[in-house]
Amino acid sequence: MASVTGTAISISARPSRRSLQVFNGLSVVKSVSFAGQRKSIPSIRSHPATSRFRVSCAAKPETLAKVCNIVKKQLALPENATVAGHSKFADLGADSLDTVEVVMGLEEAFGITVEEDSAQSIVTVQDAADLIEDLVCAKSA
Amino acid sequence: MHRLLRGDMLPLPSNLVSRHLVVSSLPSLPPAPFPLRREAHLWYIVPNELEDASLLQDYMKLLSPCEKENVLSIKGEALKKCAILSRVLVRTTLSRYTDCKVNPRLFKFRKNRFGKPEVEHQNGCLWVPPSLQFNISHTSSMIACGVTVDVPIGIDIEEKRRKPVNNILSLAHRYFSPYEVQYLASFMDPESRQSEFLRLWTLKEAYVKALGRGFSGAPFRDFTIRFENSTDSVVPERPKSEEFRIMIDTASDSVNLTANWQFALVELCGSHLAAICMEKDENMPGTEQEFLKLKVWKTLPFVEDKCMSQTDAVINISGLC
Repeated sequence: MASVTGTAISISARPSRRSLQVFNGLSVVKSVSFAGQRKSIPSIRSHPATSRFRVSCAAKPETLAKVCNIVKKQLALPENATVAGHSKFADLGADSLDTVEVVMGLEEAFGITVEEDSAQSIVTVQDAADLIEDLVCAKSA
Repeated sequence: MHRLLRGDMLPLPSNLVSRHLVVSSLPSLPPAPFPLRREAHLWYIVPNELEDASLLQDYMKLLSPCEKENVLSIKGEALKKCAILSRVLVRTTLSRYTDCKVNPRLFKFRKNRFGKPEVEHQNGCLWVPPSLQFNISHTSSMIACGVTVDVPIGIDIEEKRRKPVNNILSLAHRYFSPYEVQYLASFMDPESRQSEFLRLWTLKEAYVKALGRGFSGAPFRDFTIRFENSTDSVVPERPKSEEFRIMIDTASDSVNLTANWQFALVELCGSHLAAICMEKDENMPGTEQEFLKLKVWKTLPFVEDKCMSQTDAVINISGLC
C-alpha cells in the first residue's frame, strides 16, 4: 500500500507545490499548499546560516541529505536512484510496510520518536526531513 | 475483446447525449452476483501479465480526470501501470455488482473522514447498491480488491517472501503489541520468524483498513492478533496443530478498537499472502460466525476472468469455511 493505510494512490490529488500543468490542452495552475495536517506551526526561525522568513520549520540541507540516504537504504533502491526532497514516497514505490521501516530507520538514525499521526501526514521526503528537524529541535530545546 | 474497447472508445464526452453513446458502446463485463452474508469476494490482477500497451491506454480512459492527473504525475512506468490498474480494478469490480448497468468510468469516490476510500453515492440515474463495501491493496506484483455487502472489509496482500530491511524483533518492539513480540521471539529460525511477522503484519493491516480509522486511529500496538487452536495455550507459541483460529484482542475500555471482526488468511498463487478482515454478523449463531466464505477471481478486465476458488491458487491458512 502506498500510503500507510488505505489508498494505493490519492484519489483527491494534493499538490504540494506550485506547478503549471497542461492537461487536455488546458493550463491548470496549481495552488501552493502547506499540507494542512502538518503539526509544525508557522514560525520565524533565526538561523545563523540563512536568516530568512520561513513559513514552516524546513529541514537543514544536511538533514535532508541524511534523510534521503536513509530512505534510499530502507527502500533498497538502486545506487543511481534519485531521492530528493520533492520525491513522493508513493512514487518511490513505498507501501505501508516500507513506510514504517523508513520511519523506524529515521528514528534510529536521529534518536527521535515519530508519532503515528505525524507519520501519516508525510507525503514527500521533504515532509519527512522537516518533521525530523522539528523533532530534533524539540528534543534539544 | 480489448480491441473492441479501442475501436469503439470515444473521448470523454462533455454532454449527456454523447456520454450515453459511450456507455452503450463499451463491451460489458460479466456481471457478478452479490456476496452472501459472511462472504467476501476478492478480485486480483497480476500486472506483469499485462504486456499490451494499447490495453493500458484503453484502461486509462476509464479513469476520472483527477485519477488520470495523478497517474501522469507518477514517475516510472511500473508505478504508473500499477496506479492505472488499481483504479481500473476498483471501477470494473464495482461495475460487475451493478449487473453492469453502471459504466466503470461513472463511479465517483471520496474518502471518509479518516481517509478510507468509499463510493460516493449520487442521486439520479446512477444506480449503485449502497450496501457494497470494498477495499484495495497492492504490491508491485499483484493488485487486489475485496468486496462485501453490508459489512466493512479490509484486505492486505504481501509477497510471501518479502524480507524486511530492519530486524524483525526491532520492528515488532516498535510497532506490535507485547504479546505479539513474545510470539515472534519464540521462533528461533529466521525464516519462520519472518513468515510469522508477515502473517501478523497483513492481518493487522487488514483490520486497520477494515476499521477505516487510519493508521493513527488504530495504532498497531493497541491490539493483538493471535493464533489460537484447541489446546488454548496461554503462552504465545506456534499453534500445535495446523488448524488454528485468528483472534483479535483489544483493550476492554477501547472505544474505537472493536473486536467483533473475523479474519481469513490465504496464500495466493503460491507467492502472496492475503489477509481479509470483515465485521462479524452478530445475528449468526456463535460457531457459524467464526468462518468466512471467500470467492476469488483473477482478472484482466475486459479480457479474461478466471475463478480461482477451489483451485491450488487459493490455499486457506486460516479462517475459511
